[in-house]
Amino acid sequence: MEKIERWKQRGTLAIRLLLLAIAGIFTIFPFVWMIVSALKTKAEIMDTSVFFAKVPQWANFKSIFSDSPLLHYVWNSLFVSTLTLALQLLFGTLIAYAVVFMEFRGRKLLFAIIMGTYMLPTAATYIPSYIILADMNLLNTFTGLIISNCVSIFGIFLLRQAFMQVPMGLIEAARIDGASHWKILWRVVAPMTKSSFITFGLMNFITCYNSYMWPSLITDDPDKSLVSQGLRRFFIEGGSYGTEWPLVMAGSTIIVLPLLILFAFTQKWFINGIGGDTGMKG
Amino acid sequence: MAAIELKHVFKKYDDKVTAVNDFNLTIEDKEFVVFVGPSGCGKSTTLRMIAGLEEISSGELWMDGQIMNQVKPNKRNVAMVFQNYALYPHMTVFENIAYSMKLKHITKKEMQKKVSEVAKILDIETILDRKPKELSGGQKQRVAIGRAMVRNPRVFLMDEPLSNLDAKLRNKMRAEIHHLYQMLKTTFIYVTHDQTEAMTLGTKIVVMKDGIVQQVASAKELYRNPANVFVAQFIGSPQMNLLHGKIFYRDKKYFLMVHDYRIDLPKEMGEKLEQKDYIGKKVFVGVRPEDVEVLDMSRGGDGLKMNIEAQELLGVQTNLFLKRKDTHMAVVVKGRSDRAIGSECAICLDTDKIHLFDIDTEKNILKQKHDPK
Repeated sequence: MEKIERWKQRGTLAIRLLLLAIAGIFTIFPFVWMIVSALKTKAEIMDTSVFFAKVPQWANFKSIFSDSPLLHYVWNSLFVSTLTLALQLLFGTLIAYAVVFMEFRGRKLLFAIIMGTYMLPTAATYIPSYIILADMNLLNTFTGLIISNCVSIFGIFLLRQAFMQVPMGLIEAARIDGASHWKILWRVVAPMTKSSFITFGLMNFITCYNSYMWPSLITDDPDKSLVSQGLRRFFIEGGSYGTEWPLVMAGSTIIVLPLLILFAFTQKWFINGIGGDTGMKG
Repeated sequence: MAAIELKHVFKKYDDKVTAVNDFNLTIEDKEFVVFVGPSGCGKSTTLRMIAGLEEISSGELWMDGQIMNQVKPNKRNVAMVFQNYALYPHMTVFENIAYSMKLKHITKKEMQKKVSEVAKILDIETILDRKPKELSGGQKQRVAIGRAMVRNPRVFLMDEPLSNLDAKLRNKMRAEIHHLYQMLKTTFIYVTHDQTEAMTLGTKIVVMKDGIVQQVASAKELYRNPANVFVAQFIGSPQMNLLHGKIFYRDKKYFLMVHDYRIDLPKEMGEKLEQKDYIGKKVFVGVRPEDVEVLDMSRGGDGLKMNIEAQELLGVQTNLFLKRKDTHMAVVVKGRSDRAIGSECAICLDTDKIHLFDIDTEKNILKQKHDPK
């Protein structure tokens, strides 16, 4: 009996590992392909019979750094994403705190309205948002890009769910200890919901960093392009000898790098929920 | 001057549910007041109103001659110990205890001094560096008490602080809280549903039910002179027996009939009952299990005959459960009982030890007005 049980366990483990391996291969393949292609010549890329480059073309990377404004675009993206995220975190935290911990008339309605706007397709907001930005003279500016994205409904929802898991008793204990709302938020609630903040930050940073549609609608100054726009403008549209795929691939590899580094540092806390002891019993 | 006064305090939710109904209480300095009652009786709500965590719907809360209704919790100079400890999980024990001082920008040296003082009293000096998740239930509760103590509050508020501990630890912590009270010499307000805690700790006990105060008295007074059937049955274990009886006056004698058992009443008691117009009326007869005398049938005697339905041997005492038709009684006898289950016995009631309650209002008919102190 014991033997059968042990084989069963091993079997389940093997199936689980196999499934994870397959999913892993599917996920990583485009990355590998991108990196491999970045080292090929243009002719090699089109030839499906070879996977690895005969001679790795490191010059592709070199030419990205020296001949293209890609680094400038990476800087633009990092700058816009960081500021956008900072504002999203600030506003999201404040509204989520109010909705969860403060009592006021219309609290539920307020949250319903916030969530209601989530149902609206983003594309439907393009034209009104464009007009508003145009009226404010913010087209073609980083300010316009940042303030048009400074509230994240997804983030508010994520933080609200996390805040709701913080026991009310802790908030009350802090109030009796003499903590203001501001202190309660940053000294009690935020440390307990750290992982949700990191999940929020990482996901929204990536979305913002990679965003293409909206930035290309409101900015046409090449100097203000974000990475996705820049990649397209410089290598795909503009190439007079047709698309330079090796350079596109090398560029993409460089673009992805900051995100991978960020993920490596934060994955420990990513989607972790409130784990362990909450300080309350019962 | 009274330390705390609640005047006609109400708590209503959405103007529909009344959680606390016309609560009036005067708490003197250095009293240990216990709010006791079944769950949902409004005891915690009242405590939370005193703490400032819950708004007072109407009525007034006074502390040291100042009205407190609109004062923020941290400005009331109260400290609260929560049922679920409510320790900050990301802070160490030291930080938990020192947090209120940190908010007041007290110097590190002073903080260290105060925390170590408190830690010494509570015997938690060795765990100051640990996080709450590394502590046992009893330790967590000590830290929670420590957090309250460092503030030197005017009043300690405790909301069922022991209900999450196991029975043994609860007894120990109860004794410690009592000790703490004697040492700190400050006012305590303590909420519990446990009558043992209420009786052993409180110098003044407030019994509540459905948001209404039933009686405010000392433990002794509650036990000897309960205001109504609810208090009579809530305090004491096993609970007070309630029998149906009727009061008569014949041949210049007052007596009470319980089934076919006649209990002659002293003249003074009978006259009081007559004054209150209870002659010929049915009443509830309350008697505590330990106040019942059990007679053996072999010795004859004219008591109320009952059958022994079950018995519990507890060592120092034996609980007997008696039955006659639909009348049930619990009786406590000293030592062991060698009576057989199913056998008949007779019980005798002493008029000094019975309590008579009105059938309709359930109020104690003969209760004298006592000073609640």
